[in-house]
Amino acid sequence: MASPRAWRVVFLNDAVTRMSYAVMVLRKLFGFDEQTATKHMLEAHENGRSVVWVGVRENAEAYAFSLQQWHLSATLEPDEES
Amino acid sequence: MKRVEVRLSIPAVAPLLDLIKAVADELRTNLAVPLALSDSDAELAAVWNEDLLASQRDDCDRLFSLFNQEFFSEGVVAFDRENAEPVLRACAALRLRFRSTRLAHIPDDTLEALEASSSLGNMSEDVQKAFACFLFLDELQKIILKYLDPMAVEEDE
Repeated sequence: MASPRAWRVVFLNDAVTRMSYAVMVLRKLFGFDEQTATKHMLEAHENGRSVVWVGVRENAEAYAFSLQQWHLSATLEPDEES
Repeated sequence: MKRVEVRLSIPAVAPLLDLIKAVADELRTNLAVPLALSDSDAELAAVWNEDLLASQRDDCDRLFSLFNQEFFSEGVVAFDRENAEPVLRACAALRLRFRSTRLAHIPDDTLEALEASSSLGNMSEDVQKAFACFLFLDELQKIILKYLDPMAVEEDE
C-alpha cells in the first residue's frame, strides 16, 4: 500500500506585518527556536514564501489554519518529494 | 498575573478610535488576510472562512474592551496575559485592513519610509488619520511584544 502523501505548509510573505510578530507566531505555532523562526521569516521576506512544515494532511491543515488565525498568509501544497 | 499599564494621550488617541472601529466593523465580514487555498480546497475554505471571521471578531472586541471608562478618564489601557494574544492579533488584522483599503494607494517603499520617520507627509486629512491609526496599532503591538511576548510567557511558566 502506498504511504500517505505528505503536504507542505507554506508561509507567505506580506509587506505589512511586523517581523518580530511573525517570528513570535512561528515560534509559538511550530515550536521553532528564535533562529529557525527568523530564518523562515527572512526566507519568506526575500523569496515570498517559506515551507515551514511537511507532514500529514490533517496536521498541515491545522497549522495553516492557525497561521491564518494570526493573520499570516499560508497555503498547502503536496510535497513532491514524498 | 503580569499586567502592563500604558498611559496614552486621550486627545491623540480618542479621535482615532472611531476610524479604527469602522475598520473593525469591516473585519466582521471580511478576512484581513484572504485565504490562499487552492480551488480544490473550496469546501475547506468555506468552513475556515466562518471560523476565522468569528476569531477575528472576538479579537477586535477584546481590543476595544481596552478603551473603557479607565481609558477615557485616566488615559490608561492595561495589557495582561489574557488579552495580549487577542490584542496582538486584532492589531495585525486592523493594520492589514488599513493597508488594503485606506492606505492601498501608497507604494510599499513610501509607506515604509513614512513609518520609519513617523511622518504624515503630504497626505490628505483622511489618509493622515488612517496612517496615524496604522502607526498607533503598531505601537500597541510593539509594547505587547516587548513586555508580554507570548513566547516569553510560556518560557516563564
